[in-house]
Amino acid sequence: MSAATQRSPRAAGRAALRQRTAARGWARWLVRRLLMALVTLGLVSVLVFVATSAVGDPVRAILGKDYAVSPERVAQIRDALHLDESLPQRYVLWLRGLLSGDPGTSVANGLPVRDLLGDQIANSVVLVLITTLVMVPLAVGLALLAGARRGGAVDHVISGITLALAGVPEFVTGILLVALLSTSVLHVLPAVTVLPPGAMIWDRPTSLILPVATLVIAVVPYLTRILRANLLEVLDSDYVELARLKGVPEREVLLRHAVPNTLVPTIQVTALQLAWLLGGVVLIEYLFNFPGIGAALVDSVRNSDFPMVQALCMLIAAAYVLVNLLADAASILLTPRARTEMAA
Amino acid sequence: MPQITGPTAPGVSRRQVLRWGGLAATAAALPGLTSCSSPSSASDGINTQLVHGATGGGLKDTLDPHFPVTMPDIARVRNLYEPLLRYTTDYEVEPALAESAEPNADGTQWTFRLRRGVTFHDGRPLQALDVKASIERMANPKKPASLLTDVAPLIDLPACRALDEHTYRIVLKEPHGMLDKVLAAYSLGIVPRDFNPARPIGTGPFKAMTFVPGRRSLFRRHDDYWDRKASVDALLILDFADDTAKVNALLAGQVHTIDNLPGYLAEGVERQGAHALISETGGWVPFTMRVDRAPFSDVRVRQAIRLIADRRQMIDQALSGYGRLANDLYGPFDPDYLGAQLPQREQDIDQAKALLRQAGRSDLQIELVTSTAVGAGGVESANLFVQHAAKAGVQVRLTKADPNVFYGDQYLSWDFAQDFWSTRLYLPQAIACALKTSPYNETHFTDPDFADLIAAARRSLDPARRRVLLQDAQRIEYERGGYLIWAFANQVDGYTDQVHGLVPAREQPCSAYRFNLVTLDRS
Repeated sequence: MSAATQRSPRAAGRAALRQRTAARGWARWLVRRLLMALVTLGLVSVLVFVATSAVGDPVRAILGKDYAVSPERVAQIRDALHLDESLPQRYVLWLRGLLSGDPGTSVANGLPVRDLLGDQIANSVVLVLITTLVMVPLAVGLALLAGARRGGAVDHVISGITLALAGVPEFVTGILLVALLSTSVLHVLPAVTVLPPGAMIWDRPTSLILPVATLVIAVVPYLTRILRANLLEVLDSDYVELARLKGVPEREVLLRHAVPNTLVPTIQVTALQLAWLLGGVVLIEYLFNFPGIGAALVDSVRNSDFPMVQALCMLIAAAYVLVNLLADAASILLTPRARTEMAA
Repeated sequence: MPQITGPTAPGVSRRQVLRWGGLAATAAALPGLTSCSSPSSASDGINTQLVHGATGGGLKDTLDPHFPVTMPDIARVRNLYEPLLRYTTDYEVEPALAESAEPNADGTQWTFRLRRGVTFHDGRPLQALDVKASIERMANPKKPASLLTDVAPLIDLPACRALDEHTYRIVLKEPHGMLDKVLAAYSLGIVPRDFNPARPIGTGPFKAMTFVPGRRSLFRRHDDYWDRKASVDALLILDFADDTAKVNALLAGQVHTIDNLPGYLAEGVERQGAHALISETGGWVPFTMRVDRAPFSDVRVRQAIRLIADRRQMIDQALSGYGRLANDLYGPFDPDYLGAQLPQREQDIDQAKALLRQAGRSDLQIELVTSTAVGAGGVESANLFVQHAAKAGVQVRLTKADPNVFYGDQYLSWDFAQDFWSTRLYLPQAIACALKTSPYNETHFTDPDFADLIAAARRSLDPARRRVLLQDAQRIEYERGGYLIWAFANQVDGYTDQVHGLVPAREQPCSAYRFNLVTLDRS
């Protein structure tokens, strides 16, 4: 505000006007994106529901070998799943529950899905957050190191290692880390997560080290390579060349001119990786017996626990949509041209 | 006593369970911080805790004594509850909660004299009325316990009664000569008359403290246990969905025992300071042929299929060598088992081809349906069978069905498939799978001579006569049954250096999960 008060009243008015239009532009964009997100989630909900309802008789799938001999349980489960209603009716019932925060009752267990998933969601979120906090600075730092000394020894080493690691599946990394630090060579970290009931993953911080390390090793090489490529592209651009010609020191060129211009791609690529982490850490969760949503999803699919599968699919879809929305918003805020276009 | 929730107790919220669980858990400071420390640590009276890693489990987990579903369920049920009689590790029946089981002359009435001095986990003494309530629960005609489906319809529930505080009599509508052996099954535990699965009270060596389906269960020692008291203060059972995680937990010292160690890892864990426990079991993974439909309705085709399999190769490759040759008959620990006395069927391609030629099926093409759901060795042996069949000119198309499909609509109607069974005696097994009335008759075997022999054997109280009848029945199955039974599996489990007292058991993993027999080194 102090800047505006120093200007002439007319200029201040113009600035305010511009701010207002910018805010309105923002609001319009946000509303449009939110609506789109809702439409996406609506479509996903139909897909999830149809996909989980259309494959055969769920009760047979749930009871397996016992279907023939337990008519009472058959009736009980049919009732719980509202199987006597039509498919659209069931969809409406389910969606209504979902919107009011009640995703139903687990078939395998009889307890509310919400209660069963609460801890798992929190554990997964913590895992992803910590991984992000480690992976982003690490990848950015490595990319900067490599990019700043293009063609040098450091660049070669970083490129070589990231290329080698990028090809290793995460469960291989995980197994090697466990052998190295838990079971065979050293015995310093727990191999699997053992949580007392009521405890959350952050109560057992050492249990997080290996899963986080495995995920970081899985994601960082890819991220580093993309960021380095971006950085090099920017460093080769005309305006960086111009800055150099104007006598700006190379360090300044890198930090003031090049790096800010790699932020947007960084955010976009990171968002993609985050989205993958949210739904795709199943192998890691199995390997470390980690109580997260990935393993819960696999368990539910195996048990044909449809309410659980549906809730988890919606949750992962919503997380995807949210992460992308945030990434887009951040990208726009950081891109001057996009900001002005929105205000105009 | 903290309450425990389960599938049948939707009234108890998970939050409550967690709160109670929290109390007990802070009591039982759990492993996980550093792997080098022992899995047990001291606080609130729990100085020694045995940690067992169980295979599988999930939200389906239950503490219901009569309906265990998953492997961890079986481990839990065996430590919380006890049947009237029980199987020893050698698979012989011995007294448990009942000191004796006496049939009347024609086997229609069985009188059980209860052991004195047995108390439930809440301190009440075991009485005949508790047995009455338990029998009524597990023989409920609408929902019989899984190991009682064949006998439940024979029990005349209104006529069964407690004769006095310590005597209970079961009255049957038809004679049954082996009721004691049937009732010795692990999942027919006796519970108090006011039993509610939300308060899982039994007479077993451990009492339930907390239970989180798919994750963990914490049990405390039952100090008034009538038999050998547990040496550890607590038993923690952890569910493991993944073999690698389970083995890693063992090697890192986070668990003391695991069940179902993958056979190919047995030697590896020995090198890393843990041990493999190998037990011979009566478990089998048969190929099932429908005898009521072509081409298997022709007994010569069935014989040819049985001669095609290279059983030894299947044991070596599909079971990593952990199995014993079988001879198309089940129940190897039954004293009347005949399989070892009959000529052993081995691969004989020429003979198989000749039989197929006689049957006019030289160009036989069949579909074999398998699934990972049949357990260890299933899919692998099916793959091997395809190769063996090709040698005899039989074209086998292998379909690997999803577990839900395999045990879905078409289960029990596949023409040629697989299935799995665990250790049982011959008679109850035949009643479960080889009669017209059997709930699991995969082969659709309905041989009238066979059915007569089984019915007569069931009625018979004379062991010598029953032996003759059962062996005649086995000869029929050997000659014209629908099973190809190639091996009995060996059970492989793992345990750490600290654990003592585990012995091989014929029925189930880790000494049939009798953790009260285990002692633990303090470290």
